[in-house]
Amino acid sequence: MTQTSTFSYTPGEHEAEKASNSYLMSLIALIAGLPLPIINLIATLIFYIGNRKGTYFVRWHCTQALLSQFSMLFINSFGFWWTISIIFTDETITSKYIAYLITAFIFNLTEFIATIYTAIQTRKGIHVEWWFYGSLTNLICKSKQ
Amino acid sequence: MKKLIIQSFTGVLLFFLTWFALAQINWVSIFNTDKATDKTEEKLGTLFWDIIKKTEKENKTSSVTATVDTIVNKICVANAIDRKSIKVHIIEKNEINAFALPNGHLVIYSALLANSDNPEELSGVICHEIAHIELNHVFKKLIKEVGISVLISTSTGNRNTEVIQETLKTLSSTAFDRGLEKEADIKAVDYLVNTKINPEAFANFLYKLSDSEKKTAKYLTWISTHPESKERSKYIVEYCKKKNANYKKILNTKNWNKMQEDLKIATQN
Repeated sequence: MTQTSTFSYTPGEHEAEKASNSYLMSLIALIAGLPLPIINLIATLIFYIGNRKGTYFVRWHCTQALLSQFSMLFINSFGFWWTISIIFTDETITSKYIAYLITAFIFNLTEFIATIYTAIQTRKGIHVEWWFYGSLTNLICKSKQ
Repeated sequence: MKKLIIQSFTGVLLFFLTWFALAQINWVSIFNTDKATDKTEEKLGTLFWDIIKKTEKENKTSSVTATVDTIVNKICVANAIDRKSIKVHIIEKNEINAFALPNGHLVIYSALLANSDNPEELSGVICHEIAHIELNHVFKKLIKEVGISVLISTSTGNRNTEVIQETLKTLSSTAFDRGLEKEADIKAVDYLVNTKINPEAFANFLYKLSDSEKKTAKYLTWISTHPESKERSKYIVEYCKKKNANYKKILNTKNWNKMQEDLKIATQN
């Protein structure tokens, strides 16, 4: 799921803190915005916009934190509207629905744990690349030098 | 880039595989969601019926109950519906109305019986209401109108009389969604065809009542709450054309006439 690798340069204390905050941002938003999945994305997006002119290390981790929210947004939104349709329309609770909720929970939990781990590691200045999102971020986020 | 595509594909696949694997488990029976719904429905049905029983007069004339029972029995047998699950009640009232309550209670007003020209017309309306019961429309409508939390609290002892009265009013005098009504109409035609009753009588009944709709709207609850009666009768006729069956008389004329006479006497009293 996650892979520790060496970054192109050693980030400074201030950079490490900012990069770590980008993950914490999504964690706090996850707690606050549980019923509305879009909140996580908005929170990381705001943080990303605020730091897009930051150093490479900060930008890189803000981008990874933002991208990781996208897939969760799809999974959670689908579950959210499915639940709404069960409450307000004639949809009923099926095994498929419960299975979806469990799957969404497993994926959310995995992402949650990975986020905490990455927040801790980046705070120490250690570069952590996520499976898939890491490669995607490498593709999007380039060093200005 | 290739690595990225493989990784994204694997991620999506992993998600759907987990979902698919988990969906193989019968969670509904594990969490007993069906049982809980059934119990709530049972309690609500009894609750609503008790209120009607207390406030309205039930018609227990043998010719009336026997006629309706014969029709319901034949429909149930022909369509493999558990007869015990349908509890028919005839209420003495000058409103043309019939409605389904939770847990298979089917309430028919005597004016509906009196205004049906033949048993086939009546069978159409009964089939339509049975379709609502069998397709679980009643509970779906309740959930939509009052919400699951109110339903559960009502069924578990929180007897808010106002809420119960309002809910009952909703069930007896408002229609289902357009889609659900059509679904019930089409199912009703299937039931009628399986029972060898000509569904055209049902379409005629709708057409006939919609014509006199304006004159006596007050007493035509069943029609006024079921919008676009003419349109409904049209798609019923269209659907009937696809069905080829040999239709039979469901009741003999003598029994039907006897019921009509008894109904007149009951109204006069």
